[in-house]
Amino acid sequence: MDGATLVSVLLLAALAGFLVLSALKFWKYSRLSTHGRFDLYPVPKEGADKVRYGGSYFEESEWWAKERTTSLSTEVVEIMKEMFFIKTLFERQRSLWWASFLFHAGVYVLFGWSVLLILGAFVRADFVIAVINVVGELGFAFAAVGTVLLLVRRLTDEASRVYMAPADYFNLVLILAVLVTGIASWTTGANVYDVAAQVLTLSVVELPALVMVHFVLLGVMMVYIPVSKMGHYAGKFFSFHRVLWDNDPNLPGSKVERNMRAAAAAPAQTAWSAPHTRPTQTDPSASEE
Amino acid sequence: MSVNTKHLKASDISRDVDVLSPVDDLMTLPSPYDANGLEPKFKELKPGWAEEHCASLDGFIALDTLKRPETQEEEDEFVEKFLVGLEKLFQDANKGALQPLQLVTEFCAKCNTCSEACHIFQASNGDEIYRPSYRVDVLRRMYKRHFTPSGKLLGGFVGADVDVSWESIARLGEMAYRCNLCRRCAQACPLGLDNGLAAKEIRKLFSQELGIAPTPVHKKGTVLQLEVGSTTGLTRPALLDTIEFIEEDIEERTGRAVKFPIDKEGADVLLLHNAGEFIAWPDNPAAFAILLDEAGVSWTLSSELMGYDGVNYGIWYDDVQAKKVALAQFEVAKKLGVKRIVVGECGHAHKAIGVAADRMAASEDKVPVESFLPLMAQLVREGRLAFDPSKNDFPITLHDPCNMVRQMGIVQPQREILRAIAPQFREMTPHGVDNYCCGGGSGFAIMNSYNFGDFRDKVSARKKLEQIINAFGDEFSDPSVLKCVCAPCSNCKGTIRDILKAYKVTAKYNVHYTGLVELMVNALVSMEQPYLEFL
Repeated sequence: MDGATLVSVLLLAALAGFLVLSALKFWKYSRLSTHGRFDLYPVPKEGADKVRYGGSYFEESEWWAKERTTSLSTEVVEIMKEMFFIKTLFERQRSLWWASFLFHAGVYVLFGWSVLLILGAFVRADFVIAVINVVGELGFAFAAVGTVLLLVRRLTDEASRVYMAPADYFNLVLILAVLVTGIASWTTGANVYDVAAQVLTLSVVELPALVMVHFVLLGVMMVYIPVSKMGHYAGKFFSFHRVLWDNDPNLPGSKVERNMRAAAAAPAQTAWSAPHTRPTQTDPSASEE
Repeated sequence: MSVNTKHLKASDISRDVDVLSPVDDLMTLPSPYDANGLEPKFKELKPGWAEEHCASLDGFIALDTLKRPETQEEEDEFVEKFLVGLEKLFQDANKGALQPLQLVTEFCAKCNTCSEACHIFQASNGDEIYRPSYRVDVLRRMYKRHFTPSGKLLGGFVGADVDVSWESIARLGEMAYRCNLCRRCAQACPLGLDNGLAAKEIRKLFSQELGIAPTPVHKKGTVLQLEVGSTTGLTRPALLDTIEFIEEDIEERTGRAVKFPIDKEGADVLLLHNAGEFIAWPDNPAAFAILLDEAGVSWTLSSELMGYDGVNYGIWYDDVQAKKVALAQFEVAKKLGVKRIVVGECGHAHKAIGVAADRMAASEDKVPVESFLPLMAQLVREGRLAFDPSKNDFPITLHDPCNMVRQMGIVQPQREILRAIAPQFREMTPHGVDNYCCGGGSGFAIMNSYNFGDFRDKVSARKKLEQIINAFGDEFSDPSVLKCVCAPCSNCKGTIRDILKAYKVTAKYNVHYTGLVELMVNALVSMEQPYLEFL
């Protein structure tokens, strides 16, 4: 196997690794989902009227005897605003939002571009290529500018700098290196559609050195993202949907009740040590959270 | 060497200085408190206190049960036990909070958006140790260093760089008690991460593994409550005496013969008060009795052990204690055969039995729980209570208790009531779910050991004082205008009482405080005399 083929195989393996490791991260958090209640309002599924001021079903006397209406659409809209627009940051820290939004928007657009490349690799119509080119240019521009702005902020803002570990800079430098080599590869003559077609069909004839470097860095980044703090795309779903916005009451016959019974049937393997936490004959309930 | 308290690193937590971050630069209060000289001074730290406890964080002591080791062996043993507890925090011993804790420790982007939301960070003009993310960063780095492959292999490169020593552990424990657990920071987090919850997890580690918690919340809190029935020490005979006294007082003041129903089986409502009300503010349970009596509600109090004090300090620091208290409270309600538990004016009691306990007890062991607020709003809406709002015709502002509002979503009922009884009601800014904590949340209201009360009055409650001053605008400085802060929560009320006294706000500016039900009774058409004592 020549070097170009090896790099292509590694890149595809890294892509698969990204998907598998991301799925593992989702799985890790989903199996931890039976926990206490940590509602924090506004909770979007309470519906558009209540989410405006942060109200809940607790505002009604004898709430348990009334039919509870929840709004999936309001929750989906709110989580989308958080995921794609970073709404909370927009509202509360605009100066950082510009950098963060450009960065994340660039990443999302580049993901879309990568998928479009598959189309472009096999459908070479001028219109299709033109659209994909624009998407790619926008993605690279947004992501690169966002990354540089985030890096500058981390280096210059004292309040941020004291919290940064070297790995936090490494993350951004790695992404920047991927972006810069990607832009350089594209603008120095490599035909991205030919390269994409060859990589996808594992029929790479020859790759310029710059493209090889880009692919190696891209592969490293793909595998690294899900195992690093950058994997927060998985965490964000759980922190909102399963923690702050989970206000489902533990009523007879409810899904919560079934989950709690299942959790109770699997007692913890570890236990706290302070004397008051240990079970006693008169108080067998101790030691349970 | 001087320490820049505005930009400390997590690794500075183990720095060898007498006090890591003294409180010496507080947020300026609005006029007239920017220049009237009425701000109280801090108590001097007595030398013996720092020798015995950890006063090296900011000069205050919350953990009065945390003692300095006398020998190296004691210190080593303490560090070892802490590390064991730290590991358990991320194991199934802590399954009730594992997911949110792992999320905040793994994914915090350190964007510091939470900082601007924190009233303590604001009040200190940005002292790093009060930044919501700082204490969690210390915890994260300690955990990484000892328990993650990346931390063990790469050390400082991934931020696993905080020394675990007695001093750093003790400072971490103290830092967990510089947060009111109001969770306003979590509301501000773009990733939905909860640094407030993480502060409680640190408290939990100290209590559930090391057996260390402030005396007022543990020994004189949950332990006393489980032993005698109330954190106040109020026993059943004392409760019955107190109620008898309150009944006599109501009759003397209002001419009404209101009888408190006690242990009435099958009543619709078991009213669960914070027992502190019986002792510190008996007008509050009296007001409930007057209102429920006048509206014809079927209700009862319980005189059983665990049936007459709705508090549950466990939710601030110890899940095991929280569960013991909650289960015992449900058991009393079950035994009485009431249809529902209605929680009186106590914010954390609302959250404890209404939310936290919801998943602690099996559904067959529970009794439905609701706040007094929707019930009272319903009585107002249905016209079962007749009001003359002109009796409350003075400026009134409302404090939103975090536990009822931000953490339960009860926002409108109290406003519906106030609109019906208080023509000069005005909101604080911000309010509702965006409110600021009173500064007494999570136990601060009852923690007065050593100099900790000063921290509450001057730092954690500072933002609330600012809000109160601003809510009354120009009228604040005019002592001829009687003004009132309505705080429908015992802990919040106690904190507001303390700051109004410490800053001489009542004496100089005629600002008073009360609960909501007292204002309701004051506005009743049927009341011939004012019910509020300050009128």
